[in-house]
Amino acid sequence: MTGYLVRRAGQMVLTLFLIITVAFFLVQAQPGDYASFYALNPDLPPDVREQIRASFGLDKPLWEQYLIHLKNTVTGNFGVSFGHFPRPVMDVLIERVPRTAVLFLTATVFSFYIGFFLGKAIAWRRGGVLEYTATISGATLFTVFTPAFALMMIWIFSFRLGWLPVGKFLDPLVWRHADVTANHVFGQMLLTAFLFTVFAFLVLWALRKTGRVALARWAGPLIAVGAVVVLLLWSISSVGGLALDILKHMVLPIVTLTLISFAGTMLLTRNSMLETVREDYVMAARAKGLPEKQVRDRHAARNALLPVVTSLVYSLIFAIDGSVIIEVVFSWPGTGLTLLQAVRTEDLPLVMGAMVFIGLFSLLAHVIVDILYVYLDPRIRYQ
Amino acid sequence: MTNPQSAPVLKVVDLSLRYLTRGGAVKAVQDVSFELAEGQALGLVGESGCGKTSVANCLMRLLPDNAQLVAGQVLIDGQDILSLTEDKIREYRWQQIAMVFQAAMNALDPVYKVGQQVVEAIEAHGVEATVSLARERVARLFRMVGLDPALMDRYPHEFSGGMRQRAVIAMALACDPRVIIADEPTTALDVIVQDRILRELKGIQQQLHMAVIYISHDIAVIAEVTDRIGVMYAGRLVEYGATEDVFRAPLHPYTAALMGSFPSIAGEKRVLANLSGEPPNLIDPPPGCPFHPRCIHATEVCRQEIPPRVQRGSQWADCWHPLEESAVPESVEAGEV
Repeated sequence: MTGYLVRRAGQMVLTLFLIITVAFFLVQAQPGDYASFYALNPDLPPDVREQIRASFGLDKPLWEQYLIHLKNTVTGNFGVSFGHFPRPVMDVLIERVPRTAVLFLTATVFSFYIGFFLGKAIAWRRGGVLEYTATISGATLFTVFTPAFALMMIWIFSFRLGWLPVGKFLDPLVWRHADVTANHVFGQMLLTAFLFTVFAFLVLWALRKTGRVALARWAGPLIAVGAVVVLLLWSISSVGGLALDILKHMVLPIVTLTLISFAGTMLLTRNSMLETVREDYVMAARAKGLPEKQVRDRHAARNALLPVVTSLVYSLIFAIDGSVIIEVVFSWPGTGLTLLQAVRTEDLPLVMGAMVFIGLFSLLAHVIVDILYVYLDPRIRYQ
Repeated sequence: MTNPQSAPVLKVVDLSLRYLTRGGAVKAVQDVSFELAEGQALGLVGESGCGKTSVANCLMRLLPDNAQLVAGQVLIDGQDILSLTEDKIREYRWQQIAMVFQAAMNALDPVYKVGQQVVEAIEAHGVEATVSLARERVARLFRMVGLDPALMDRYPHEFSGGMRQRAVIAMALACDPRVIIADEPTTALDVIVQDRILRELKGIQQQLHMAVIYISHDIAVIAEVTDRIGVMYAGRLVEYGATEDVFRAPLHPYTAALMGSFPSIAGEKRVLANLSGEPPNLIDPPPGCPFHPRCIHATEVCRQEIPPRVQRGSQWADCWHPLEESAVPESVEAGEV
């Protein structure tokens, strides 16, 4: 396993190098550069234009720019954003990436949970009303034109019903008198979510370790109590209202994303499970007198999980680079929107920084899924 | 070996089953009746598609959605299991009747440890109070079937074919069932392992005084381990009796043909009889005796009327032209249909 991981790390370095190289030359292949915005001003004398170009380092030959860029990236220096001057690229990304990650991770988790749950239910009981409803509505949502659907959601829930905000990350009116920054509150929310997830896993793990079936039933209630405590603590804290504002802004994009993407997992699970339900070990499980739910979940669905996890890789990458369409429609200041703006304005350092980030996370997602495989299927071993 | 005074633990009465398909109703099992006492072993033989596995699935009540029970009862200690509710049937499975599956390769779930899959059955029926007691029980079962208890924490893919078959037998014994159905228990194994496992299974059966139903297409395998034998053809039981009687002098030409189509190591060298043709289409079975299209003794009456039951000692067969006692398998050598 260790040898395998070392080899994988080597491959990752090589892949990342290729990503940086291709991305760099692709951006440079666009006509003009960031300095052209100033350089095209006819009021500026030619030597000033040259000076501006030189100040961005854009006067150097392409290969030299590339080598400087590569050296800086390797040493962890992502430079200063042209467009957000004088903020460093790292600073911009540290603000934007978590916003996208939270939105898309939540949506991915929801759509996988719903998709897997529905998929195994419709594979188990074929031909019911549920199968037709879920398949037809799921496939419709999956193939619908995303911007139109997102706008329709905004129209229904924000304009007509007025339940949820139209877009953006927060409501400036709520934050006018706040003495903390949005990043600070959001950071704390992330920390809480992370700690709560760890807590939930620890509870599940500890109760399973005791080996008593009766105790394992307490996992659900125990985690629910934990959730109530966390919510209570937040509601009495001074920033509770601000956190609620951010949460409100997250609901609509998450619901929209979940609706348009759950059908993929659902149909995949269904097809995969239609094969596993015919396996002899599922019949054996039923013959052993196990409850139907256990036959379905522990044997049929458990074995159907593998291809579903493979598709999770792609969704995880989605969770980092975000969807430009969704972020634009909901004005969500995440990686997708940032990358789009950076490319348009030829903000070279920011584009490259975002590309490195997205590349690195995608590669990590692949490794994580490969490692997860070992736990999901004991037949898989890496040498 | 037979124990006539003990009451039957399993009684199958006039069982008829059909599968509803697009082409019509497949009459998979028709009017099958037999009894099984404690400690007794019954063998069901016949070609593929003659209804053996359907009978087994009826006994477990593990039928596909398109199966329809037309008539009959399956009584265990007088309780008709075909009328039980889904919840009751779950308790009954494995505790009353367990099964050694056909193709043991696939009867073990690849993602769980072998021991865990046996523990699962024990837990589902609350046979042992805690997991550690259940694991001790599994260790005992493993030793009984000749497996090292340390193998409990291995995955099925780490087992050889013979080891998996033993594990599946251990799994069947997990809840001390009264009846075990062994559906082609050793077909996928090589002959030497096959023989050893069958002998061990027979030893366990006698030790635990269980009733066992062996299902196989290989009449020679069945003959070694059973007290009684039932020959199935086209969903019907066509011959039934004490194994030694049926083997010595089969009444039904089909039984004789089955016996002729397997080589004997000990017996003299002879040309294997070849039973030509295929079992009939069960959607629209032939009138009269279902075997008549392939039978060398068939006459006009066989083609038109259902054959009567012929009794000889413990043995009976449904046939118009039962074979004489002297008619040993050699007679089928001439079989050309």
